[in-house]
Amino acid sequence: MEKQKTFGISRRLFLKISAGLPAVAGFSLPKFAHADNSHWQATLIDLTLCNGCMDREIPACVSACKNINKEKIPPPVSPIPEPWPRKIIEDWSTRQDVVDRLTPYNFIYVQKADIENGGNKKTVFVPRRCMHCDNPACATICPFSANHKHKNGAVVIDQETCFGGVKCKAVCPWQIPQRQSGVGIYLHILPNFMGNGVMYKCDLCVERLSALQKPACVDACPQKAMIHGARRDIYALAEERASKINGFIYGKKENGGTATLYVSDVPFELINKTMKKKPGRPDMPVDVKRRMAETDGLGKATLAAPVLGVMAAGVGLSFKWFYRRKDQIKGEGENE
Amino acid sequence: MSEKILKEKGLVVRHGALELMEHWFIALSGLVLLLTGMFQMPMAGRYYITSVPGLTWSGDYIVSLYVHYAASVIFIAAFFFHLFFHGLQNEKALIPQRGDIKASVIVVKSFFGIGEEPPFHKYLPEQRLAYTGMALLIALLIISGLIKVYKNVYAPDMNYTVVLWATWVHNIGFILFILAFLGHMGAILLKPNRPMIRGIFTGRVRLDYAIHRHPLWIEDMEKMQKKETPELTEKTEQPVSVDAPLEEAVDESGAAVCGVSEAAESKVESEAAPVVEEPDTPVSDDNAENK
Repeated sequence: MEKQKTFGISRRLFLKISAGLPAVAGFSLPKFAHADNSHWQATLIDLTLCNGCMDREIPACVSACKNINKEKIPPPVSPIPEPWPRKIIEDWSTRQDVVDRLTPYNFIYVQKADIENGGNKKTVFVPRRCMHCDNPACATICPFSANHKHKNGAVVIDQETCFGGVKCKAVCPWQIPQRQSGVGIYLHILPNFMGNGVMYKCDLCVERLSALQKPACVDACPQKAMIHGARRDIYALAEERASKINGFIYGKKENGGTATLYVSDVPFELINKTMKKKPGRPDMPVDVKRRMAETDGLGKATLAAPVLGVMAAGVGLSFKWFYRRKDQIKGEGENE
Repeated sequence: MSEKILKEKGLVVRHGALELMEHWFIALSGLVLLLTGMFQMPMAGRYYITSVPGLTWSGDYIVSLYVHYAASVIFIAAFFFHLFFHGLQNEKALIPQRGDIKASVIVVKSFFGIGEEPPFHKYLPEQRLAYTGMALLIALLIISGLIKVYKNVYAPDMNYTVVLWATWVHNIGFILFILAFLGHMGAILLKPNRPMIRGIFTGRVRLDYAIHRHPLWIEDMEKMQKKETPELTEKTEQPVSVDAPLEEAVDESGAAVCGVSEAAESKVESEAAPVVEEPDTPVSDDNAENK
């Protein structure tokens, strides 16, 4: 008894641990990484309907987006603090009227793609904005969680807490977020050494969504080329339209799945061929991988690590108990 | 419990192989976590860390996240192993005791030459407090980290309030962990603590050091050995003495460094009289090892 006390583990406890181990061993994490997406919304962009608003100076979707977000960015401080040691300042405040690329003041633009398909020439207009991915690396690994995927599926950057470190842009396959220096919380901390502004991108008009309205670009489209609704419905509609025209869908698999589906009668490989990746003007690589998926396996191992530790402790204690008991029996035998 | 007095070698086993492994698994994986945690901030590119040979990967957030996860598997598993393996055996040597705060003040003062140290058990009172503080900090880092990992893998649209809490607990914990690491390094470099450095590498400390600084621990070990193996203890009944082979000569500050006050000595003598004899000569401290 004395020995058991000093060891500090009773037979009862040992049996409990032994019984618990198989139960713990049966513990497993879901194999597939996916969130409950029943509340998510999505947008269908039908490229067979979009005509790029050639009759207008600015496409209607771009114009509506600019209008609704015109007061979003406060005027940057002057002069904008010079970051150290890399002296990169991105100031778009003097070029707010740029509409042919993504900027902090322009969250959507229409890209023109002149395609040659088997001798047939065709022009396709592709409205480009944030895809609002299903598992957006830009949001999940933001060091301050300033970027987050909301319950309605919108991926939104909180401009009050963003430091403008460009991490979200670096991990986005399309480098969508754009930085405006000289604004944001970094100005109040260490402006020369930490942060460099605020990242801006489409927020899917999250406030309008809360008010049960559609995103401004969707409402503004004269061609009804954009349709917004429940993700399930949009996915079904995209499939239906694509199969009717024997067409193609972009955004369903790309980067692990997104909340923006493009439907086209031209293969996206051909559309992508016409697009040269430039700052603020992303290309459209088909089947672009979600790089963060490479870490999911180890992420699951991390989630299982507490159980591994407890199991190892159980095994260690079992060994200890076993050898202690063996010595005890040996001692009793010798005494007899 | 692998603690043992190795009289012939003039050493005391302070930590067993398992405890050393636990410490180093947590310490090394913790350092990797600190480093890759820093690389999760957008700083490697800005500060040219990516130009440092061997650190070109530091600017790739996915790679550094991968390494961060790998280190966290070891870190978390080691933490839970430690908690359950020792907790279920009711090991309390590192759990703070009543009066530890007061005693810690006295000990810290003594490091700066104000007053003298009381006799210690295996661990110093501030070691127990620091251990508990570190354990709580690690627990917070693990809980917040696990929430973030779950979000990354399974629930990117997790409740935003929960995500923000987890993020800021993790970020503030990260800063405190750096401070705790620096404090840990600072403490071990203090002259009176230096003899313990070999303990965390080899598991053993000098017997003369242990007798003079940790007499209550030696006393406990003697009692335990006597209780567990009475026949063995009878054979080695003679008190553990450090008359014999002290490892090195003595420096002039030795007695002060060992810091057993008169009051403490009398306590040792009265409570642990059968076990400990005072050496004839003042005992060396860490200098002995360093020479």
